[in-house]
Amino acid sequence: MAAPPPALMEELVEESLLRLPPDDPASLVRASLVCKDWRRILTGPGFRRRFRERHRTPPMLGFLRLRGSDRACCFTATSSFRPRNADLLHGRYALDSRHGRVLLTTMSMRQEPLESSLAIWDPITGDHMRLPQLPPRPQRRISCHAAVLCASSPSGACNHLDCHRGPFLVVLMSTSRDEVFVDVYSSEAGAWSQPTFAGQHPLDGPVWIVGVELGAFAGNALHFMVLMDSGMGILKYNLNTREINQVNLPPNCRCSVELTTTEHGGLELASMEDSRLHLWSMEDGPDGHLGWAQTRVIELKNMLPANTRLFSVDCFVHSLAVVFTRTSEGLFSIDLNSAQVRKAYEGRSFVNVVPFMSFYTPELGATSAGEGSSAGA
Amino acid sequence: MASAGSGDEKAAAAAMITLISSDNEKFEVTEATATLSQTIRHMIEDGCTDGGVPLPNVTSKILARVIEYCKKHATAAAGEEGSSSSFSDAAFLEVDRAFLEELEEFDDAFLEVDRATLFDLILAANYLDIKGLLNLTCQKVADSVKGKTPEQIREMYNIVNDLTPEEEAEIRRETQWAFE
Repeated sequence: MAAPPPALMEELVEESLLRLPPDDPASLVRASLVCKDWRRILTGPGFRRRFRERHRTPPMLGFLRLRGSDRACCFTATSSFRPRNADLLHGRYALDSRHGRVLLTTMSMRQEPLESSLAIWDPITGDHMRLPQLPPRPQRRISCHAAVLCASSPSGACNHLDCHRGPFLVVLMSTSRDEVFVDVYSSEAGAWSQPTFAGQHPLDGPVWIVGVELGAFAGNALHFMVLMDSGMGILKYNLNTREINQVNLPPNCRCSVELTTTEHGGLELASMEDSRLHLWSMEDGPDGHLGWAQTRVIELKNMLPANTRLFSVDCFVHSLAVVFTRTSEGLFSIDLNSAQVRKAYEGRSFVNVVPFMSFYTPELGATSAGEGSSAGA
Repeated sequence: MASAGSGDEKAAAAAMITLISSDNEKFEVTEATATLSQTIRHMIEDGCTDGGVPLPNVTSKILARVIEYCKKHATAAAGEEGSSSSFSDAAFLEVDRAFLEELEEFDDAFLEVDRATLFDLILAANYLDIKGLLNLTCQKVADSVKGKTPEQIREMYNIVNDLTPEEEAEIRRETQWAFE
């Protein structure tokens, strides 16, 4: 008769379970249902911390996209994870996602302007809250865009591996006919700050903030793509100095531009020309001034199926070296390191792509954590 | 392979260590092989290896496997060091890749063991503090758990389900997506 396998010490069970892949949360959940010991290990704060420290880069669990055809926002899973309270997405779409939170706004902008219907959603816990209304401004906003940040992002005090339940900021940049200004919501204060105005309208003529391109947080500043008379550009809001400045695009970079953040917190830009992806990074020049330096040019055509026409780059995730491209055959995600290509979405008609990246570890009594428990308002 | 052979000759001239299993079997190994274990490395540094190193937590069957692993990995490490000066960069990279492939094949074959042996290897790797072996064996457990249902995992590792039916139902309700 075969002897039963020897029992492993708890720390060695943990040592093994720490090696489960972060992009397969279902395996972690199922392992937590094996017995009381395994459940205690997997739901413990030690495992939670060590799992994140071990794997470092939060995996992409899915992405949110707004379908162009019927204006419906959907969560498309790229892992075994499924979000809680996804019915919140009805009538809304995602503006941004960072550190496990998603910033939503309403679809019906005629009835309710974007800035007065912002909401935060945690797809893992299902927690959600509506941000309070902004006081009305004398001049109507003609465009705006927003981003959600961990509240300690400006100080750099957080490693952002597990801060989705902590305090957060929402930075809303708006333009009116003659003004560019920023409102900041703090969950700790439960209120919006007084708006910060650009010292002078930094650009000639009207400015339109491009809502479908994600904002990027780099060097303590949020960067949004804008459209002006002269073409595309970047507006930057520094959270420490509370200044709004313009950043020029690299030369010959006219359309299909995506901003992202490098692992060192620098600004990176991806632009597509024909079928080549050009990567630029903001670096210190020899004269001490920041400027764009081209870091890589990648030919995408050969990575995609034959006869696929590339339209644009829709999202660029530096930490995963993944780029989403819109093509004649649908939405593809391309891993720039392994050249692995996946069709992310069949349809061709969609507006924006917001990746949802977060660690997931099982928790005790997830429902008892309560919906809306993080609501400060 | 020529470089591996010269590694063995070098090793033969090196100091030998005697390891003694829990069932009193003696194993002669080179210092390079033995010091893949941090535990033994510290004992050598402290000069406590005269008359052999008793390992009361490791049976001869498991110790033989552990030594097999350490020998292979110590040889690979020595081979890499020895070959670096005699090849151009490109050739060196080629050799490097061949080494890594061979080592991977060895590791895969090494892990073809039953669950009881796998657990014994984990316990031994932990006790002897052999990082590579601990990583390899723990990863094997993780891979075996991946994609399995709780029932399959329990059966595989002979674990008794002590969760109450209510607890189990609640978890399944909260995270239904993980069981689809």
